[in-house]
Amino acid sequence: MKDCKRHRRELVAFLYGELTDERKKELESHLDSCLSCREELAALVRVVKSADSLRADIEGAMAAVDWDLLPETVASAVLEKDVQPTREAGRRSFFEWILRPRLKPVLAGLLAGFALGSLMTFWLMRIPGPRPDSKESFHVSRGFLDRVELEMARRDTLDYLEKSQYVLLDLVQKPGRKAMDAWQRSLASQKARALLMKKKYINPQLNKFRLAKAKEICDQIELLFFELIRLSDDLSEKDLLSIRNLIEERQLLLKINLLKKELEESEV
Amino acid sequence: MNIPLEKMEAGRAESHEAVMGLVDRMRKGDREALMAIIRLYQKKVFLLAYSYFRNSEDAMDIVQETFLRLYQKAGQFQKGRNFQNWLLQIAKNLCIDTHRKHHKRSGDLRRVKSLEDLNSPLGESDDCQDASDIRHIFAECLKRLSEKQRMVFTMKHYNDLEYREIAMILKISTGTAKSLHFKAVQNLRALMTPHLEGKS
Repeated sequence: MKDCKRHRRELVAFLYGELTDERKKELESHLDSCLSCREELAALVRVVKSADSLRADIEGAMAAVDWDLLPETVASAVLEKDVQPTREAGRRSFFEWILRPRLKPVLAGLLAGFALGSLMTFWLMRIPGPRPDSKESFHVSRGFLDRVELEMARRDTLDYLEKSQYVLLDLVQKPGRKAMDAWQRSLASQKARALLMKKKYINPQLNKFRLAKAKEICDQIELLFFELIRLSDDLSEKDLLSIRNLIEERQLLLKINLLKKELEESEV
Repeated sequence: MNIPLEKMEAGRAESHEAVMGLVDRMRKGDREALMAIIRLYQKKVFLLAYSYFRNSEDAMDIVQETFLRLYQKAGQFQKGRNFQNWLLQIAKNLCIDTHRKHHKRSGDLRRVKSLEDLNSPLGESDDCQDASDIRHIFAECLKRLSEKQRMVFTMKHYNDLEYREIAMILKISTGTAKSLHFKAVQNLRALMTPHLEGKS
């Protein structure tokens, strides 16, 4: 059976006379003893004979051609058609070459790759923030972020307190007239306004972290500035005096100093 | 220095150098050289095209188109290569292109139908009718092979080309050419057997 398989592969070569003498003899002796291989060979012979039946057609067609006249006719046709030889033909053949059927899968692949690439780029570009797997991204723990925010809140509060202190000192220490002039020249009132803005910014931080004590004093300063700004247009010497009393009564400057020290010491 | 054209045109063993001389002259627009080349190879190109299409008109078109291409592309021919194989390669490509164009136009339907028609029992037909039927059936079966198998079978069986030459023309290895020929015969056997058994 195994022999049959091997010999059958050689039947076509045998029919076309392509086997070496040795293989031919071997095959012939196998054919003598194997009926099924003989039948297979007979079927192949019938096929080859059928193929030969076309030869008559071919010979008929060959005989019908005037081979002496043909070169003349073909050469005339070739030279007549080839009036514009190189360029246009070259350009046309380039497109034919690029669009030929064999290259179609390659073109399709390139097109698909381009489409996929475009989609991927679009997808990556539309995601805001850091790119996935980007080497520049870094990760920090939640605790570290909290500490950073606390430190920033502490510094902002310290800054706020220091600036407020200057404004209040101006109010308290300068003689009444001079303090009023300074205030009304709107130098101090502008500072106070800026500080009110700053307070707005640090409010959430004060709430978030445990800076309750700082918040209390900051709130008082805020209230004071608010009042001062409200009165700033017609600030009288009496008002100024009452404000000074208020500051001294509440020991606001002292409290600010204490708080500053405390905040400085509790550096993160 | 002129090449002895008469000797070459008689179709006797033409040397590579002589053919190269003709190609060089043809490239310069020499009509006589072109005609000499056509005389040398017209039958081979016609035979290839005719056995592929089994139609004289198509085969003639291929012959004309092949020599036109040859004239246009003569500059691309590399001197170390076999000229006949290169020319037959052009003819083969034109056959495939033309076949695809026809195939697109006429579709598969007509072809399948014609084979079915031939498949019908022909009890009272005489010997001559039988032979003609077998020719038609074989031609239809040949058309059903894959393009490469058909080309290899045609070149081997009708053009009497060696596997080595077929391999060069089709730009495949000799082993692949042998294997394609073997498969072509096997497939033809499978396609032909029901018809042959019906006739016997």
